Parts: sequence; structure tokens; C-alpha cells
Amino acid sequence: MQAVGLVANPASGKDIRRLAGKASVFDNREKLAIVRRAVIGAIAAGATRFVYMSDSHGIVKQAIAETTIPRGVRFEALPSSGTASAMDTIVAAEQMAQKDCAVVLVLGGDGTNRAFVRGWQDATLVSLSTGTNNVFPVMAEATVAGMALGLVATGKVASRSVASQAKLIEIDIEDEEQDIALIDAVITRDAFIGAKALVDPSQLKEALLCRAEPAAVGITSLGGLVRPVSDQDDFGLHLTFGEGGRQLFAPMGPGMFSTVNIGKTRLVKFDQVVRALGPSVIALDGERERVIATGQRIEMRISRRGPWVVDLAATLLRAAKRKIFLRTM
Amino acid sequence: MAKNITNKTLIDLHACMVRIRRFEEEAGKLMEDGKIPGALHLYVGQEAVAAGVMAHLSNKDQITSTHRGHGHVIAKGGQFSPMFAELYGKSTGYCKGKGGSMHISNMALGILGANGIVGGGPPIAMGAAFSNKFRKTKQVAVTFFGDGASNEGSFHEAANMAALYQLPCVFVCENNGFGEYTRQTNHQAVTDVADRAAGYGMPGVVVDGMDVMAVYEAAEAAIKRARAGDGPTLLECKTYRYYDHVGVRGMGLTYRTDEEVDAWKQRDAINSFEAVLLKQGVLTAKKIENVYARADEEIKEGVAFAESSPFPTEEDLLEDVYFVGATS
Amino acid sequence: MSEALKEGPRMLPYVSAITEGVRQVLQEQDNAFVAGEDVGQAGSVFGYYQGLLAEFGDRRIVDTPISEKGIIGLGVGAAATGCRPIIDVMFMDFLGECMDEVANQMAKMRFMFGGGATLPVTVLTMAGAGMNLAAQHSQSWEAFLAHLPGVKVLMPSNAYDAKGMIIAAARDDNPVFVVMNKMSLAMQCEVPAEMYEVPLGKAAVVREGTGFSIFAMGRMVHEALAAAKTLEGLGVDCEVVDVRSIQPFDSETAVASIKKTHRALVVHEAVRFGGFGGEIVAQLQEEAFDYLDAPIARVGAPFSPVPYSPALEKLYIPNAERIVAEVKKVLGI
Ligand SMILES: Cc1ncc(C[n+]2csc(CCOP(=O)(O)OP(=O)(O)O)c2C)c(N)n1
Repeated sequence: MQAVGLVANPASGKDIRRLAGKASVFDNREKLAIVRRAVIGAIAAGATRFVYMSDSHGIVKQAIAETTIPRGVRFEALPSSGTASAMDTIVAAEQMAQKDCAVVLVLGGDGTNRAFVRGWQDATLVSLSTGTNNVFPVMAEATVAGMALGLVATGKVASRSVASQAKLIEIDIEDEEQDIALIDAVITRDAFIGAKALVDPSQLKEALLCRAEPAAVGITSLGGLVRPVSDQDDFGLHLTFGEGGRQLFAPMGPGMFSTVNIGKTRLVKFDQVVRALGPSVIALDGERERVIATGQRIEMRISRRGPWVVDLAATLLRAAKRKIFLRTM
Repeated sequence: MAKNITNKTLIDLHACMVRIRRFEEEAGKLMEDGKIPGALHLYVGQEAVAAGVMAHLSNKDQITSTHRGHGHVIAKGGQFSPMFAELYGKSTGYCKGKGGSMHISNMALGILGANGIVGGGPPIAMGAAFSNKFRKTKQVAVTFFGDGASNEGSFHEAANMAALYQLPCVFVCENNGFGEYTRQTNHQAVTDVADRAAGYGMPGVVVDGMDVMAVYEAAEAAIKRARAGDGPTLLECKTYRYYDHVGVRGMGLTYRTDEEVDAWKQRDAINSFEAVLLKQGVLTAKKIENVYARADEEIKEGVAFAESSPFPTEEDLLEDVYFVGATS
Repeated sequence: MSEALKEGPRMLPYVSAITEGVRQVLQEQDNAFVAGEDVGQAGSVFGYYQGLLAEFGDRRIVDTPISEKGIIGLGVGAAATGCRPIIDVMFMDFLGECMDEVANQMAKMRFMFGGGATLPVTVLTMAGAGMNLAAQHSQSWEAFLAHLPGVKVLMPSNAYDAKGMIIAAARDDNPVFVVMNKMSLAMQCEVPAEMYEVPLGKAAVVREGTGFSIFAMGRMVHEALAAAKTLEGLGVDCEVVDVRSIQPFDSETAVASIKKTHRALVVHEAVRFGGFGGEIVAQLQEEAFDYLDAPIARVGAPFSPVPYSPALEKLYIPNAERIVAEVKKVLGI
């Protein structure tokens, strides 16, 4: 049987948006509890093999230790990168790709999923949100997510029948490694990565969005409230910011509204190249990630070469129709 | 966030970290050479925290520090001469030689003391914050404490009261992974001290304590929030001390590997900040050199001042136990 | 090396005598364990639990968080329910963090419960100045503890007593504090390998004399002995009594000494005002007034916190010279 991958990011849900955005800290005991429930759900659906990232806080390891595991169920810890950074997730993803994981549970926010996809671009994911400012992962009960993991891993529900491939942005930075974003890439006037979150609208220069969701917070909503673009649309949106255009009143972060000057908006086709030039800081999926030097060139393009995302409702609906959880006496 | 940060601020942050680093390196040497008595708990490795937080405080704002307090004192405006004099136990020191490293303080700079008692600071900072609110000033009190100290009841009581009274207080946990020789995983069941904030009804934030700009931005938000009357914040900075718990080499116990220490040094706050400032043209190699040279000059002066200063005398022994004179 | 092959007495430093005492208690009592900050892997910052973790495992050598209130509470709760905890409070000064657990719980529980609870808990802690550790790492608070009905307080001045007192304390069914001295850790004396007790409530006459009695506590015993030597040169034959047990206090030995010498001085490292010396003086005037030929002198630290500066700390800590000076004053020489 194929394995279920487990990734829990200990660092998610603790950044400066707790302050700026009036959100509460997402504590690691709760993440541990979510992993427990997901594992229990997956085992209930028949999963017997798990492979997990050895996160720096031992979330998954401890979750397993605190769960009664039936005989025959195996867990394999992947060697950690030991950096206690996003590199842990990237390295774990690379290893999971080698380990024949049918589907991976990713606990974290957009940033965690982005890191995972950097390591394994076309993975099949069940992504649960452990933060506030997320577009890619969903809010769902972990037990149900676990059931879906088990159904897909055992093949009781065919992965391709319930998962769809997501869009992503590929970013080429001159003289540097390629990067990606799952939702948005923003060019800012900042000079530093600092505390990462994007909260000051006056720093924004331009943004490329795979998804412009009006029913979300953050950069995606800036596009979404002007020209919505859904996950299903085979194109993206390019926005410029600055005086002279329209003023948008939008939630830059959870519980945090700002007036943002919107310049031009245009739709971009798949693989159409969008260029930018340093100096700037590029923010990916809501977090300032890289300092771009003066004159350094950036090229970005949107495609549907992203990860496969499991639709939890569709998966459980199939299981119901096939009476997978029904036992006759 | 960090909107329009000026080059001056960046240069000051850098200089502050360098001054702390050099002071501590020198103090460590002087202790190991037997010139400074007692026990020094050195701050090398954690400079970004003191620098990033203190950049948002004026002399009017208060801090409480810890046994590992030199960095806080320097970042809050402490001068090398009276600091070295204090470490030497001389009468010209910040505490007339009576306190030493673990009690170094200066009320004019808003430093309510380093502290020999782990967890001694948070209740005092909470009290100062209460006073700030009571007196309707816009002062903020910041308390620094370690991951180890977050297990003392004093921290929990102070956090609860600060949140209850919505006090202008910022709790800065410098999580360097150890309380003395005990690793964090062996002294608490949580991995992020910031998780505890939720239990007191205040925001909890984790930042990279090896990144001065990350600390700077997070501290800015927390201190602004406190100053605006919106209550306390628990800000956890993940950092590391390069030296032993006491002194440089300390007791020579093996409780961590050289590889672990080296991995953290790879992320050294000063080196990485210098790299960015060079890349952005804010500083040049020459200017950086000058910063170190100036710090070394200050050290030379400070040590000479300390060495030539007199020791306190017998009359000083019974002085300062009580306030004597007209009531203020 | 076999013991028999070794020549001469078995000399052991104070620090190793502590280790040996604790080890033997752990071997003797299955329900004894050590708990405290950095007692396990680090073997205590003073080094006296070195090797015990390897020998007894982490069930019996328990590293705790920096939570003194919790640590003493752990000792009280465990002692009341069938364990015999040995609790370590790294520096005596840190008792400030847990004084409620000590004063309002540990000391009173048995009495308040009408004798219902028994608390066989031993607390090992380190007192004393002399290392330039300043006001919060140098204090001698034995009088604080002795003022609490319900706890016993011992002060070993040497390696032999350190081991024997730890064993006696651990075998006692009451809360017992063993207040040790950080300046004495390297000090050696003969220490038998086998288990033995230094009985609670027994002072020791460490130097016999007929002309003057010096009652000394903790490390001051050695200063008193040095003073006695100097005074001998001046024709004063001093008796030095190591008080050893603060609570219970051995007034019998004290009175017997006064009956012989008729003049006395008490010395401790703690602040003189309100120090335990005052209690000794009071008891002697109650019980041996008729034998006293002069007021009893007291030597202790001045009424200030312990200063950091080496220049001041030197002046602060009582020493042989100060004892000699006070004795001379009493004798008018
Ligand atoms: C009340 C109290 N208990 C114990 C100690 C001994 N001690 C001094 S520093 C220290 C470790 C503190 O750890 P942490 O708070 O994490 O700060 P760090 O040393 O790592 O900076 C301990 C246990 C003390 N000084 N005070």
C-alpha cells in the first residue's frame, strides 16, 4: 500500500500577524492534536503506512506517541534537515516524493505548502490551515481530512477522481535558484525580509496572482475585490499599485483593513512572462522572502503545473456512495 | 511595517550589535584572566534581540533585564566606562560596585536592573507598566527573560496581571534553547513559549532572534501596541548563546555539540546583517571596520577607567541600604 | 584500588562527601530520589551529584525546570504520600521563590493536619558569600528557617558532617534543611566510607578550652579555630563549639561550655541583626546566667545586603580577625 505523508510546520500561526492582525497564536499542542485526529481518521479508513517529517518541535513524533496505534500500522520518520526552517519541509517533500507517498497531509499556512511544493511540485495534498491568513489550505476537521488521506492512500477512492491540479507561479530570479508561489507573488519597496508579513500597503509595487479571491484576506483579496480569479480559471491576474488609480478598502490581513491604491489590472495567460526589476523585496504567498538587488531581473509565469489538491467533500461522498464505512452484521 | 526605515537606523542597529559583541568578548577575556571577579553570563550570539527591541525605546521607557544583562544595558544606552567599572567592583561603576554584573542598573536610562533571580524581572516590569498607566504617561516597560525563566511562577503571575490590567508591557522571551545546562525540551512541554500567551489573553509572536530586522519589526508592533494602550504582548525570539552559561568556556560540561553551536554561528546576526547592508550599499567594508575600531576604542577607555578607579570603602558598606534624608 | 592498600586516613573533600552521602541514601532507601535544577545531566552546578544520574537513572535523579515553588511542592507532596525526596535548591537565596511552600506548607502541614501527615523530605541548599556573587547568590538564611516550627536545620562545617548530616536528615521523618557552604566545597577531612549519621541536635566541641567559648556556625567554625589559635598566643585558651544543628539547638553543650569558661562569643556569617546568634545568647542567659562573667559578644555580617565588590565583600564577611578583636574587647585585653 502507498504511504500517507505527514508534515506539520511548528512555526506556522505565530508570526507578527498575531499582532498586526489581532489573531491568536496557534499553539503547537493544537497542531499535535490535529495530527492525532488525522492519523486516527486515516487508520480508520485503512491506512497502514505513514511517512513523516521530523519537525524541529517533534509535533508528529509526539502525536504518534500519544495515539494508540493498532498492530500492523507503520510510521517512518524522515531524517531532518536540522535547520528548523522552511528547508525542513522542502527536504521532507523531496524525500516523500521518493517514498511513494500517495497523498500528504500538510499542516501549516500558505508558506508551508509553498515550501512543500518547492520540494515536490506535483504532490497530492490534503492541506489544513493552522493560521489565519491562508488561501491554499482549507479549514476542515482533521478526522475527516484523515479519512480522506486513508481513502486515497489505500486506493479505495482513486486520487485522480477527487483531486485537481492547482495553479502556481514559477519565478526565475537572475543568478539565483528558481522559486514558486501558490497564490501570489508581490514586488515591494521593502529593503528587508524582517518579520516577513506584508502589512503596509504603501510598500506594494505590483503583484501577480494565480487566485484573486474576494472571500479571503491578504493580497489575494486585493485582486479578488477588483477582478476575481478562481482556482478553476485558466489564467491569472496582474495588479500594479500606486497613485492615480482606484482606491480599494480591503482586508490586508486578518482583522486589518487598509486603503490600497490600485493602478492597472490585467489578466495574464498561462506561461505569459511578467517581468520585474530590483531593487525590491519579493513576497511569495504573503511573506517577504527574498531581497532583490538593484538591476537584478525577475521573470514570473503562471501555469497549472502545481500540486494536486484533494477535495475532501468529494472524497467522502464517493466513500459514502461505495458504502466503504458501512459494515453489514 | 518598518516603513521608511532610515539608513541611520540601520547603521545604529549594526553598531549596537557590534558594541555588545565586542564588550562581551572583552569582558569574557577579563573574567577568564581573573581581572573581573564573580560570575559573568555573557550575551554573545543574542545581540539582535537587545538591539532590535531597544531601537524603539527611549530613556523614559523601562526595561528589566536578567543575569545575562550586559547586552540590554548597552542597547539601552549604557556606557562602557561605568559598566566595566561595575564589573571590576569599583566605586565609579553604575552601582558603585555593589551590584556587579548580575545587578547592573541605571534608573536614568530606564534600566530597572539585571537580576540574579531567574524570573525576577517580569513582575517588576509589570509594576512599572502599571505605574506608567497609573501616571498616564506614554512609557512602555519591557521585560527580558529566558526560556528557563518562563517556568517561574513570577512570569505567569506578571503575564496574567499585565493582560488583566491591559498594561503597557512587552514580554520578550529570549529563547536560547537552554536554561543553564538543561535543554528546553527537558524543562517545558511546550516548544514555543509564545504559545503560553493565549492562556493569558495576549498575543504571542515568534520571531527569528538571529535576524535583527525581524526583531525590530516585531518589537515595533508590540511596543506601539503597548504605547497605544492596547495591552501587553509576548514576543519570543529564537536565539542562541555562543558561550557557556557562565563565562566563555564555563564548566566544560557537554550538553550540546560543537556542530550545533557552529550551525547557529552560521546564522550569526551581525554577519548576516553586514552582508545585507553591504549589498544595499548602506555600509562599506571600511565603514564596518570603523564601527569595530570605535567599539575597541571605547573598550580600551572603559577598561582603563575601571582599572584606575578606586574601590569602594568601608563607609560605603552601610550606605544605600535605606533612603536617608527628606522624603521626596 | 582497594581501600586496604591505601595508607593513612580516607580524606574526602566536602563536595565528594555530599555525593557519597546522597548515593548511600539512595542505595538504602528505594523511595528516595533527588529533584532539582541541573542535578541530573549537569550533576549540579557545584558538581556534587556528578555521576549519580548514570548510577541511578532519571527516575531517581530528576532534572526540574527553574520552578522553585514547584520543586519544593514536589518534595512536600511526594513526602506526604510515601516518598523520601531529597530536594535541591541550588542557592539558598532562591528559597525566596518558594518561601510559601516552605513556611506555610512544608513546615505546618503535619501540625495543621493534627499529626495526620508525615513529611520525610530533605532539602539540600548552598549558602554563604565569598565568591563575589553579590546580593542574591551569597546569603545565609538559616535563621529564617529556624524560625519556622516544623522544620529542622543543619549546617555542616566540614566534609564529615556534610555526609553524616545528609544521612541523618534523610532518615529523619521530618523536613530537614541541610545548609551547606559553597566556600567549603574543596575542604578535605577524614570521611569514613561506610554510612554513618551525625545526630540532629548535637553540637560538637571542636576545640577544648577553659578560658573562653566561641560558638560558631557553618564555615565560621574554621574562622573561630583560626581565631582560637591567635588567642592562644595571647594566653586565652578558647573552646570552639561547632553549633552544627540550628534546629533543634543543642543548648546542653552550650551551657556546659559556659559553665567551664564563663565568657562567650557567637559567630555566624549571616547578618548579625536578627541572626541565630541572638537566639543562642538568649538561651544562655536564660539557662546559665549565673555562670556568665561578661555579656556574650556577637559577630556577624553588617546590616546590609551582601556587596559585590571584592573590596567590600572582604569587609563584609566575618573572619578570624574580627572574632579575635571582639574576644579581646570582652576580655579587656
Ligand atoms: C530563582 C533562581 N533559580 C535558579 C537560578 C540559577 N540560574 C541562573 S541562570 C539560570 C538559567 C536561566 O535560564 P534562562 O532563563 O533560559 O536564561 P539564559 O541563561 O538561557 O539566558 C539558572 C537556573 C537563579 N539565578 N535564580
